[in-house]
Amino acid sequence: MSRFANLPDYIQGVTFEIWEGRQIASLHRSYGTDMVMRSTAGLILGTAGVINDTLGSQAAFPDRVILGDDVIWSGTEADGYLSSHRSMIIGTHTGHGVFGPPTGKVVATRCIADCFVQGDVITDEWLCYDFSSMVQQLGHSPRDWAAADLERGGHRPFTPDQDRPGPYTGTGNDHPLGDRLADILTRIMAKDIAVIGQTYDRAVNIYHAGGVTGWGVPFAEAQWMQLRTAFPDATFTVHHRIGRADKGEPDRAAVRWSLDGTHTGHGLFGPPTGAPVHIMGFTHAEFGPWGLRREWSLWDEVAIWKQILLHTKDTI
Amino acid sequence: MKGFSNQFKDLPDYILKITKEIWEDRGLATLHHYYGKDIPMRFPSGLVRGNAGVIDGTLATLAEFPDRQLLGEDVIWSGTPEDGFLSSHRLVTSGTHTGFGAFGAPTGRRFTIRAIADCAAKNDVIDDEWLIRDVGGITRQMGWEPSDYARHQIAEEGGPETCVRPFHPRDDVQGPYRGQGNDNEWGERLANILTRIMDKDFTVIREHYDRAVRTEHWGARGDWSWDFAETDWMRLRSSFPTATFAIHHQIGRNDPGTPNRAAVRWSLTGKHSGPGHFGKPSGAEVHVMGITHAEWGEWGLRREFTLIDEVAIWKQIHLHTGGVA
Repeated sequence: MSRFANLPDYIQGVTFEIWEGRQIASLHRSYGTDMVMRSTAGLILGTAGVINDTLGSQAAFPDRVILGDDVIWSGTEADGYLSSHRSMIIGTHTGHGVFGPPTGKVVATRCIADCFVQGDVITDEWLCYDFSSMVQQLGHSPRDWAAADLERGGHRPFTPDQDRPGPYTGTGNDHPLGDRLADILTRIMAKDIAVIGQTYDRAVNIYHAGGVTGWGVPFAEAQWMQLRTAFPDATFTVHHRIGRADKGEPDRAAVRWSLDGTHTGHGLFGPPTGAPVHIMGFTHAEFGPWGLRREWSLWDEVAIWKQILLHTKDTI
Repeated sequence: MKGFSNQFKDLPDYILKITKEIWEDRGLATLHHYYGKDIPMRFPSGLVRGNAGVIDGTLATLAEFPDRQLLGEDVIWSGTPEDGFLSSHRLVTSGTHTGFGAFGAPTGRRFTIRAIADCAAKNDVIDDEWLIRDVGGITRQMGWEPSDYARHQIAEEGGPETCVRPFHPRDDVQGPYRGQGNDNEWGERLANILTRIMDKDFTVIREHYDRAVRTEHWGARGDWSWDFAETDWMRLRSSFPTATFAIHHQIGRNDPGTPNRAAVRWSLTGKHSGPGHFGKPSGAEVHVMGITHAEWGEWGLRREFTLIDEVAIWKQIHLHTGGVA
């Protein structure tokens, strides 16, 4: 962590340098040559791929700012760190790119990036942009945009069959706050929806995929039920959990999870299609005196639509 | 908690429970117990005396928005059971306009706004209060512009001669609470930030706010990073550039497991003599009651919540200009 005080400063610092500082080429140093980036939108292998992807985004949104909301982290200098970085990304669509010709629209979205950092170099990554909220702000439905992008030969979304083993094999830390969030998510996914009323603050604020926000327990319940019911037989797995109780900070946790199964339920993704679907999910939470009081959960609805459309062979 | 019913484990628990009991559980009559008989309640819209008025006001609001929900986001507090507590309670409140009331015939519109209530509590009773609801936010969500709604209020209340006067310190009364908060460093820090803003030293925001700050302001408006916070505070100060800024109460807290945070109640008193949030300068004498809550993180102030009542300000402006029709 030579130039930086600690891991959170490193993450915020290199993010700023790469994006707003335009040091895209510094990715040659800050990213591992053979790194595996598991973006929900598609697998990217090696620094060169990451650089080109970053350049494409910057060309489409040149004024983009990445506001780092939080860095929830585990690990040590010796073993390497896992940083779960939650940010707000805001930019004006003034350039050509995957979203087509410029629209002049300001797009604000959330992102969570789980990065493995060894000696100032990021060598493994799991990443989710709230792509669905972006395409909606640009005037498209996530389904139609997914279909159009596939027709244009766009990325195939990430699924575990494409995965490559990276250098990071950790599963987080063993802090009780990480367990607490993992248990909540596990119970929700076991359809024990009552867990929300039992463990969330009644004034909870929720952010979910698709740019959806709202207050209170009934809202949280409705959101989670809507996701689960579209994939009722999917297997839920917790891959990584971090809990932290830092002085002067809220008690908080970061969990990376997945749902793997088939689209066999009615809901947000239309009538059941039987499509095999992999959902890479990220949840950050802050706890307060009255329970879980702020929850951010990201998954990529566009990547889900693409998997469904690739199965049904439906187009626009 | 000495002097309080043992159903409450601490002051925040008391505040959250009685708020739910009074509103959502329909315990309006419990206000005879929980609110002092002569309590002064200072709304920006005017001073209300006594719990009978509070009960009637609560009933009128519930009749208009029967599904009104009050979610307590935070309780930032100071004091002791012996000397009395001061609770600064930040709420997110929502409801559906299904009844007749201040906003006229039912429209079926929904609102979600914030409110901050500073309540003094001793021996199970709230006996002094300062309450700011985001009336500008609810007004817009009900389909009015705050300026027009202030005119409507004046007319509904019988015209400029007889209408309810917005709160001004010259009408204030001394209630039982005489505290000014605590001397925690985080309260001091927020008071200093606000003082520098009001001294027109706007560099304070980039110096002390996290670049990723989320600012939630009156009018149910919020945005990210420095620009919004700077612009909004500049427009407020610019509307009343010569007004006197005063800090009335400040609380800081660093409780384990929660972010360092603060609550400050402040005011601006003076002339509406500049451009900004309130149209053309009118020269009206205006009192702005404000409450700010803040949370800090590793990179500075990361969440700021400030409420003022725009309708009460417009009412003072219209009463001055005579533009009440």
